[in-house]
Amino acid sequence: MPEKGMRRSERLHMMGYEPPDRSDWVTGLHPMDDLLRGERLPHIWCQGCGLGTALTTFIAALQWLERERGWDMDKVAVVSGIGCTGRIAGYVRLDSFHTTHGRAIPFATGLKLANPEMKVIVISGDGDMAGIGGNHLIHAARRNLDITVICVNNFNYGMTGGQAGPTTPHEARAVTAQYGNFEYPFNLPYLAAASGASFVARWTVLHARRLEWTLREAMEHPGFSFVEVIAPCSTAYARWNPEGRGMDPEHLRRRGLEVMKYYKAAGRITHDTHPKDAGVKVDEKGLITEIVEGKFLQEVRPDLQEALDHLAARADKWWQVEKKALDDRPHLPKSSSHVPRTEVQLGGFGGQGIISAGKIIGQAAAIYDGLEVCFTQSYGPEARGGAAGSQVVLGSDPIHHPHLIQPSTMIIMSQGAYAKYLSFLAPNGVLLIDDGLVELAEDHRQDITTYGLPATRIAEKLGNNRAANTVMLGFWTAIAGAVSQDAMRQSVAESVPPKTIDVNMKAFDEGYRKGIEVLDRS
Amino acid sequence: MNEQRGLLTGEHFMLGDHAAAEGALLAGCRFFAGYPITPATEIAERMSVRLPQVGGVYIQMEDELASMNAILGASWAGIKSMTATSGPGFSLMMENLGLGIMLETPCVLINVQRGGPSTGLPTLVGQQDMMQARWGSHGDYEIIALAPTSPQELFDLTIRAFNLAEKFRTPVLVMGDAEVGHMTEKVVIPSPDEVEIVHRPEVRKGDVEPDLFRVFRDGTGGNGYVSPMVAVGQGYRIHVTGLTHDERGYPGMNARTQDWNVHRLINKIRAHRDEIIQTEEQDLEDAEVVVVSYGISARTSLWPIELARREGIKVGYLRLITVWPFPDERIRELAKGIRAFVVPELNMGQIIREVERCAAGQALVLGANRPGGDILEPEQVLNVIRQAAGRPVEAVGSRSHEPVETLEE
Repeated sequence: MPEKGMRRSERLHMMGYEPPDRSDWVTGLHPMDDLLRGERLPHIWCQGCGLGTALTTFIAALQWLERERGWDMDKVAVVSGIGCTGRIAGYVRLDSFHTTHGRAIPFATGLKLANPEMKVIVISGDGDMAGIGGNHLIHAARRNLDITVICVNNFNYGMTGGQAGPTTPHEARAVTAQYGNFEYPFNLPYLAAASGASFVARWTVLHARRLEWTLREAMEHPGFSFVEVIAPCSTAYARWNPEGRGMDPEHLRRRGLEVMKYYKAAGRITHDTHPKDAGVKVDEKGLITEIVEGKFLQEVRPDLQEALDHLAARADKWWQVEKKALDDRPHLPKSSSHVPRTEVQLGGFGGQGIISAGKIIGQAAAIYDGLEVCFTQSYGPEARGGAAGSQVVLGSDPIHHPHLIQPSTMIIMSQGAYAKYLSFLAPNGVLLIDDGLVELAEDHRQDITTYGLPATRIAEKLGNNRAANTVMLGFWTAIAGAVSQDAMRQSVAESVPPKTIDVNMKAFDEGYRKGIEVLDRS
Repeated sequence: MNEQRGLLTGEHFMLGDHAAAEGALLAGCRFFAGYPITPATEIAERMSVRLPQVGGVYIQMEDELASMNAILGASWAGIKSMTATSGPGFSLMMENLGLGIMLETPCVLINVQRGGPSTGLPTLVGQQDMMQARWGSHGDYEIIALAPTSPQELFDLTIRAFNLAEKFRTPVLVMGDAEVGHMTEKVVIPSPDEVEIVHRPEVRKGDVEPDLFRVFRDGTGGNGYVSPMVAVGQGYRIHVTGLTHDERGYPGMNARTQDWNVHRLINKIRAHRDEIIQTEEQDLEDAEVVVVSYGISARTSLWPIELARREGIKVGYLRLITVWPFPDERIRELAKGIRAFVVPELNMGQIIREVERCAAGQALVLGANRPGGDILEPEQVLNVIRQAAGRPVEAVGSRSHEPVETLEE
């Protein structure tokens, strides 16, 4: 006779069964064998546990979908988290993933988005999904991601020994709630519906047939479907609560069946109940007195994939525009002379285009003059509204130190920036200011050269005061001589909004002309 | 070629974070899941614009736990995937970085490091997550981590990270920092045909008899074998688990399976150390002092090294392009012939422990440290080099560029 402890295949052999091939895969003995990993059985669940029924109904629903709807079982993936329910992924003969605690849904999100032709089902427990993974549940529901989430709720953390959790009814007992649970539980269908799930249902495992029908519908539903399956935990939860208390621990199956009797008495099938009213009611001792069951919600809305598909066309349009601009970039002769390390500090207030101006210099030098350039900007509170600063280091040699050591030129467009940066300018350095905005201090540094230009006023005259930074760039280009005029013009042209190219080119040229004038004078 | 649709080429004046994104796209990444965090956000921003242009998927998840998981799911769907974050998010990702390692899932995680601990300095540089990169997830494992010094290298090393991830079926870390991520420099993007792109060894439908397929097969080549991966939907009906598992992917709660499983994860990296480890070396032949550094601190050390050489100190330079696995052999070898190592880094001494371990008392090991907030001052590094060479040290004041201000939120 087969004995305890024998391998399943050995036992089957003794009973006269020969496996069809070399592998120890056992098929053909049970109507669900094609979707069960026979070699992994027996499972780890206790006698009287509801998970066997949950798994059976799930597989029955899949078989129905395969038979009646032509689903390809190779295109079905099951993802679970940690806990007793999490083990389901290990027993189904499907692509299946047993992930970390609470993280089944985000894993499934990646899987589904990366391969939309897969049907993805997440099966996990209440602790996994409403406790540690609660955030993932509500966000997947919000996105209306086209997956099915089956949450087997046994009102406690079973695998770790029966601790209270986010679904333990008020006043019910658990190993960590010996005086009665002082917290209040989630109503999971209400949570899912409020978060945006487009299909919401609940059954106990007593109503196995109805559960199976609902699972079929849920898996066929386009969008996020959520099914709560209430199941007895014969070892832990039932031990502490009136449903199974006082029963011989040797007879777990009996205990599970006792709980099912409670489900029978407490179950109230009411389809289309508002999920808010679809609660699990308990008496003052935590004994379950009413479980509202049924399909509470189904509505077809555009799912996440549909929304993503719409993006592609818009994105392609952008790309065509960007690509054309890149393809149209001219090739200018690169600078052949050796340019020593040159440091430029730009300063002003937010909105003047101080950051853009620095970037324009950097781009001109790097792309069109072929120099080494490092551009950085000041981040932090001063970037918004207050002072804005950006720095450019350029030269022919590699830039090891990316920050300014001692800037040789400065472009300053606000009084605040003048006060903030001036002391860092190298002796004999060149300071360029918008002298319509910056007033020199009485004790202004005498060891530097200062050139002023009413850049903002010039830009206003040209019709757009926002081109003031471009005026300063032209001025700087002429005076500093570190970056070629052609490179700068090109960089300006491709950096400013297309509608403002003309005014910006005029602004640059005007600034450049003034710069040459100033140099000629001095 | 459809795969090349929407890819950039040529010279660009590009933000470091954006360069990382472009590197990922060229490497074939078509899935990004992330959560906004300074200073890594620009990678996500770039990906949100660029992925739909190249036929990929960008999704912002609810947190970094979810982001890391989503990229694992996408990778098992057969798509190259990545995420990017900084310190606080890196901590959250540790949980499922472990899952990625356990499930032997290729993917890339970029950490644009900022100053910590905790929320620390969101906008300012740090290199304080280097040991977390090595040991941050629980349990025993080997990890690959690369450290870029410029936007160009963020681009190049992100491609290399994908190649290593695919080849060795493991998550690979790119340990950037706020300085490199937020600087804009020239980035040269080659044409896709000129770049070596590695794809995971893969089993597809019909290649193997499904009943005989083993998801974590041991090769005949001995230690370090990387078994081919199978994506979902190929008919193999695979099962994988974060539990200790056997070659079928099934849980085995015993010491023997644990032994097999952990050795497998460790050996596949250790057996290929030579291939994975990359360093950049300068003037090591006759050096009396060798500066060992990585990332932005390696880059900023070049100037003080130059200054020290002008003073007549023979300084060598060893840059860790690959930080993990650590080049034990190289350091051990150098320790025999030099006076001292100098290890500049933006933390209070992390990689220096590795150098000390390998130097094993044969050479002096001195750190040049700063807990982030700004890059290392050249004077500080120069002084440590002088000290390492037995020369007198000059007093230096702070030469910070920005005036000290009271910070508001």
